[in-house]
Amino acid sequence: MTILVGYLDTPEGRAALDVGIAEAALRDQPLVVVNSPRRGAAVDEDMLAPEQVSEIVDLAADRGVRVEVRQPLHGDSLADTLDAVVREVDATLVVIGLRHRSPVGKLILGSTAQKILLDAAVPVLAVKAAG
Amino acid sequence: MDFTPIIDGFGIVLQPTNLLYCLVGVLIGMLIGVLPGLGPAATIAILLPLTYGIEPVSAIIMLAGIFYGAQYGGTITSVLLRLPGEASSVVTVFDGFAMAKQGRAGAALGIAAIGSFIGGTISIIGLSVLAPVVAGYALDFGPPEYAALGLLGVLLVATVGNGGKLKAVIAAALGLLIATVGRDTFTGAERFTFGNLNLADGIDFVPIAMGLFGLGEILYNLEENHKKVHAPAKVARVWPTRQDLRESKGAIARGSGIGFGLGVLPGGGAVLSSLVAYAVEKRRAKQPERFGRGAIEGVAAPESANNAAATSSFIPLLTLGIPANATMALMFGALLIQGVQPGPQLVDQHPDIFWGVINSMYIGNILLLIMSIPMVGIFVRILRVRPAILAPITALITMLGVYTVNNSVFDIYLVIVFGIVGYLMKKFGFDPGPMVLAFVLGTLIESSSRQSLLIFGGDPTGFVTRPISGTIFAAILLVALFPLLRKAFRMRRGDKQPEPAPERLPERETTEAK
Amino acid sequence: MSTTSEPGRQQAAEADILEELKAELAHDLEEERPPHAGPLAQVGAGLVTLALGVAGTVLALGYGLGTLTQPGPGLWPFAVSVAVTALSMAQIAFGRDGQDTEKFTRSSALTALGVLSLVALAALLPVIGFEVPSLVLMVVWLRFLGGESWRMTAVISVLTVAAFYALFVVALSIPLPRLV
Repeated sequence: MTILVGYLDTPEGRAALDVGIAEAALRDQPLVVVNSPRRGAAVDEDMLAPEQVSEIVDLAADRGVRVEVRQPLHGDSLADTLDAVVREVDATLVVIGLRHRSPVGKLILGSTAQKILLDAAVPVLAVKAAG
Repeated sequence: MDFTPIIDGFGIVLQPTNLLYCLVGVLIGMLIGVLPGLGPAATIAILLPLTYGIEPVSAIIMLAGIFYGAQYGGTITSVLLRLPGEASSVVTVFDGFAMAKQGRAGAALGIAAIGSFIGGTISIIGLSVLAPVVAGYALDFGPPEYAALGLLGVLLVATVGNGGKLKAVIAAALGLLIATVGRDTFTGAERFTFGNLNLADGIDFVPIAMGLFGLGEILYNLEENHKKVHAPAKVARVWPTRQDLRESKGAIARGSGIGFGLGVLPGGGAVLSSLVAYAVEKRRAKQPERFGRGAIEGVAAPESANNAAATSSFIPLLTLGIPANATMALMFGALLIQGVQPGPQLVDQHPDIFWGVINSMYIGNILLLIMSIPMVGIFVRILRVRPAILAPITALITMLGVYTVNNSVFDIYLVIVFGIVGYLMKKFGFDPGPMVLAFVLGTLIESSSRQSLLIFGGDPTGFVTRPISGTIFAAILLVALFPLLRKAFRMRRGDKQPEPAPERLPERETTEAK
Repeated sequence: MSTTSEPGRQQAAEADILEELKAELAHDLEEERPPHAGPLAQVGAGLVTLALGVAGTVLALGYGLGTLTQPGPGLWPFAVSVAVTALSMAQIAFGRDGQDTEKFTRSSALTALGVLSLVALAALLPVIGFEVPSLVLMVVWLRFLGGESWRMTAVISVLTVAAFYALFVVALSIPLPRLV
């Protein structure tokens, strides 16, 4: 029984992390933070550096929440990778960040968030960035 | 010394087209230096067909730029990500990455750029002075000397190079064998053609090089889907402090010297010289324990050395017509494609190429210095491109490129066959470098040794009684027997240390630097 | 990884910095490479080159060795083939314990598929021109070998083939066989 947060170092991602930590504290469950870079390239800007990972751990520890940061690689579907982790850690809730996208942007890149919302086997909490 | 041809050489380099090719070459070199996977040898091989349409001077200027540009490009990823883009920057990871972790990435990159520039420039000056002298001396060489030199070159590259020594020598011997395919120039008899008309004229250098280096590399990389992903690196301030400069002054000077010296030797080259330069600094240091923890000399020395070596390895090619390493074998092939025979006559017959190429390196090094520092951010960005996207594009360039050389589909099949051979060689621990080099030198060695036999009236002792060829043969014997002697010596001392050998150095030239 | 973990390396008597360095490097890379393939592969590789050496020797004898005063066309290939044969025997005898080979893994199938697509390109090129085979090659490599999404695959394939068309046909007017 865990809370799972899909995390990127963006305002939406940080909003999701805050809510995830709060939920984990509320439900008294451990937190799993998934930060999944794309497989293949030597460098991926979504990949968190070790310092950023320990910041997350500290942030959660301040609220008395135990957190595990996972960084699995994903292929052409981030949703599938996330789903695999959801099953593996037996998550009760998935928290993701949403951002506003133009219709053209959605057409070109699809919407990972939509796929997660529709496909996930457990409830999904979608969070918007502050402001 | 007559300076007119040197000054004319500058005139050639400063023509806008040649400047442009120099810039393009250096840029491509830095790019592929940054990208792990494709090394300079593979890149030059893949681009060979494109050089057909260009003037010889411009073509060689561009290819040379790729070679020495890659030496610096590899540094960037070594320092920032602990991910050597190029074999010759492998040792730079130790102190370069340690410096980056201390927030001194900029200083490391800056000193590497300055060291590369100084090493390269010292080496070009040495090249300009030494090359005509060596070429003049080599004019007296006859067939026996060339047979001996060619053989020594092949043997040195095979034994000093990467991978298992025995396997490298086998690969080299097979390269010599492949060179005999086709009609024998002396008797006209067909050898190893199996009645195939396409083989009667022998196998072209281009499909072999493109297959073994280019496609073999691409196919090998297809398997590697399990690489680590790194977080993007940040570079804050890209200038070394005055203290950094003071600390690395000596290291740069020594690195340049080591690089120049080792670069001239066959089989030496950029990789070995960077290792030796690092080892020398560590040994000289008052506090060797600083090395590996961000000692700036540990970046300055190998980076100066690899650029110096990349430059000085042109000496044997331009003066003797003997390539000193696999990349130089490609240059040799590129010159032949252009109808230019590298050798001692080059400086007199084609002073434009000789001095044009040498002088272009001054310009190239200045370009490197100017571009490297401001463009670090851009080069790091390139690492975000997935190899899976680049692979089919390079494969397609290879396939269509080789077709355009002779408009021949047979050449495409030839590239595929040698691509598979190159891939399998990598899987089974054979370095394709010695094979390509031996293939290039094979015809020279065979024809000059047969000519020698004619000169000597069939008496093979003639090889050892002539002073120069005799000396070279003594050197060959020494190279061949050295490992055995060393082993025997060790055993007698009861020393358990295994035969050390550069073979422990994995073949970073190409793919492993993930 | 290739050649590192030879026993006895640690107890090296004299501290040779250069050797240490190489060992350290090799160790560093160890994790990034597939496991080595063992003695069978070493012997197998030796057998293949041995076969080449023997075949070369036999064929070269057939071409005629001539004499040292009048070397025949077979003399040099004969000498080289004998060297290949001898070295291969040494490899079979002493090279068993080398660790510089790599196992074939499941992803080796990717390479095989890649080769097939290249052969298909070579076969189709003279028949239907370079455009369609190139496009197919791009799609196969991007989607099936590279695991890119269909959308990415479509965009990159079309752009690449268009760029090649522009470069080879329009800009350089090189006579590639083509459809249009």
